[in-house]
Amino acid sequence: MTPRAYPATFYDGKTSKPHEALVALPGHNVLEVRVGPERFMWPLEEKGMGWERNNELVRITFGDHPRRVVISRDKDFIKAFVSGMGRSGRRGAYDRALSVARVALVLFLFAVVGLLVFGYFYAIPWGAERMALLLPKTLDEKLGKTVMGSMALGMDEDSACSALLQRFGDRLDLGHEFDLQFHVVESDQVNAFALPGGQIVVYTGILDLMDGPDQLAALLAHEATHVEERHSTRMLVRQIAGYLFISLLLGDVNGVAAIVAEHGDDIRSMSFSRELESDADLQGMRALHAAGQDPHGMVRLLGLLDEASADVPQAFEFLSSHPMTTDRITAAEELAEVLGADGTRNGPDPAMAALFQAIRNEQGVDR
Amino acid sequence: MEILTPKRLSFNGKGGDLFVILIVNWLLTVVTLGIYYPWAKVRRLQYFYEHSELDAHPFHFHGTGREMFIGFIKAVLLFGALYGVFILLVMQQEAWAIITAYILFFGAFLLLTPLIIHGTYRYRMSRSSWRGIHFGYRGSLKELYTIFIRDGLLTLITFGIYGAWFQMNLRSYVLGHVRFGNSRFAYQGDGLEYFVLNLKGYLLTLVTLGIYAFWWQRDLFAYYVDHLRWDHGDRGSIKFRSTATGGGFFGLLVGNFFLVLFTLGIGLAWAHVRTMRFVLSNIDLAGDADLDKITQTEQEHRDATADELGDIMDIGIFL
Repeated sequence: MTPRAYPATFYDGKTSKPHEALVALPGHNVLEVRVGPERFMWPLEEKGMGWERNNELVRITFGDHPRRVVISRDKDFIKAFVSGMGRSGRRGAYDRALSVARVALVLFLFAVVGLLVFGYFYAIPWGAERMALLLPKTLDEKLGKTVMGSMALGMDEDSACSALLQRFGDRLDLGHEFDLQFHVVESDQVNAFALPGGQIVVYTGILDLMDGPDQLAALLAHEATHVEERHSTRMLVRQIAGYLFISLLLGDVNGVAAIVAEHGDDIRSMSFSRELESDADLQGMRALHAAGQDPHGMVRLLGLLDEASADVPQAFEFLSSHPMTTDRITAAEELAEVLGADGTRNGPDPAMAALFQAIRNEQGVDR
Repeated sequence: MEILTPKRLSFNGKGGDLFVILIVNWLLTVVTLGIYYPWAKVRRLQYFYEHSELDAHPFHFHGTGREMFIGFIKAVLLFGALYGVFILLVMQQEAWAIITAYILFFGAFLLLTPLIIHGTYRYRMSRSSWRGIHFGYRGSLKELYTIFIRDGLLTLITFGIYGAWFQMNLRSYVLGHVRFGNSRFAYQGDGLEYFVLNLKGYLLTLVTLGIYAFWWQRDLFAYYVDHLRWDHGDRGSIKFRSTATGGGFFGLLVGNFFLVLFTLGIGLAWAHVRTMRFVLSNIDLAGDADLDKITQTEQEHRDATADELGDIMDIGIFL
């Protein structure tokens, strides 16, 4: 019985001319190729034979470079050929992948995605935090000095005020490990921030709002907590780790995906920073309390900022990065209740009150 | 002379099929912590080649995961060493060490670029075929370095203006040394024309708040395609011509953008397919060369290091 022949195209590897051909599978492990009057028998077990298929075609090559090639788009031939190769244990990658049950594939996909999500939201931040705490503290100082150095050019520092604020801060002495350096910067923005390693910047805009040294002490305690707890360094390591994780996952995907990755990570670190702000409030209050200062200053400071932000919302950067102010105020009030009974053991410090007044006067002179 | 039917390039891949390949690639790459990457790349390239057709005959990519993996390991080691030296030097915290580190690092990047282009072309072309005939790249590394150093310096001292000439010289050299069996390619771009095209594109894009960018893209595409020729000596030649329109680019790029964005990346496979379809169906071939009479001449070249280095440094190829 003559085996069934299927249409195919044959390329001889010598010229680019395609030849109409017929292919057949006359027996085990042999492919018959008929081109015009010629007839080849290709043993399918030999090393020099290779094949691949996709949805549309099967491609069989024979010999060393330059190879002879047969391509058939005949569905029946593909089926017959592939099942023959499967029987002799030479299945292609395509069919191996297909034979894995689709359900298993989907389950596997979900498992991997689940693991990745868990990794991203829990394992990576956890590991990054541990990593960050292993970094030497001198790194914080270097980082802070570098950033301060590059920012100083764009800021209008009031050195007389800074000196007074430094004395205020030294007097406050919350017993921190880092050497705190205070800077007063001329700006209408109601803001203050701490750089890693101890550089603390206070804008005149926020000083203008205050009506007592307790609020300034609270602000400095808040910022000093950021420094002491190494919030910036921890956040930086978390961000880098999160970003690396995402870009590793997305691999060589194009720019759009990279943008999605970047902003996706921003959103998460924003909620992390909210957590840190609240931490800084409460830890700052404990530090104030321990140093014999009135922790109620924090409640008053937050209240003032909240009130003022209702008038000119966009200028209030100190609060805008943390919109859950009411929650923060409530938390601060609750802690103040607990600590508050003996809040001002030493009474208001007259030296600090005098320094606060001096800062206000100095600002008045500048105006 | 016999009358030949017009030759057509086309892409018949399907988004759904490509999606399955990409998702399996992604899974295996993640699960193997990146080791599967070279095999993933081969699968992806094979899909693109196998579904690109000229005259209803598919192209083929011969690269294997194994040879790409060897190249991948070499590339990773090279980059690891480079980064290692860089970090060690920076950690010295001395001015001289940091300056040396940066010079070394960027110097290595600059010096590696011609090597990568050369190696990637040698590998990619040798591993590509159509109708059983292999492509090949016959450029010389020395000449490529000469172009890079000469044109690079000229670009530097003309504050980037000479960059247009640099790009055209590079394209002419590289594409001019691409072989397909005993036929060859040639590219003839003019630096001045290319410069004017880009200047016009840039200014009009600014004036139209970005809208002209699609028409700029159309002009660039046309400039790359229209100046390419496929020569078969006295057996004739084939000219390429772009039929892409600015509106076409607008639809393609804006469509792809939303396709990827709104599906959070899942639509990437469909975006790739749309791009391939657009590009191939907008290249017209016209000429009298007989595509049946090309003979095999090119040897095999199996070193994929440059191809993988190019991936790390994000250097693509342009054919």
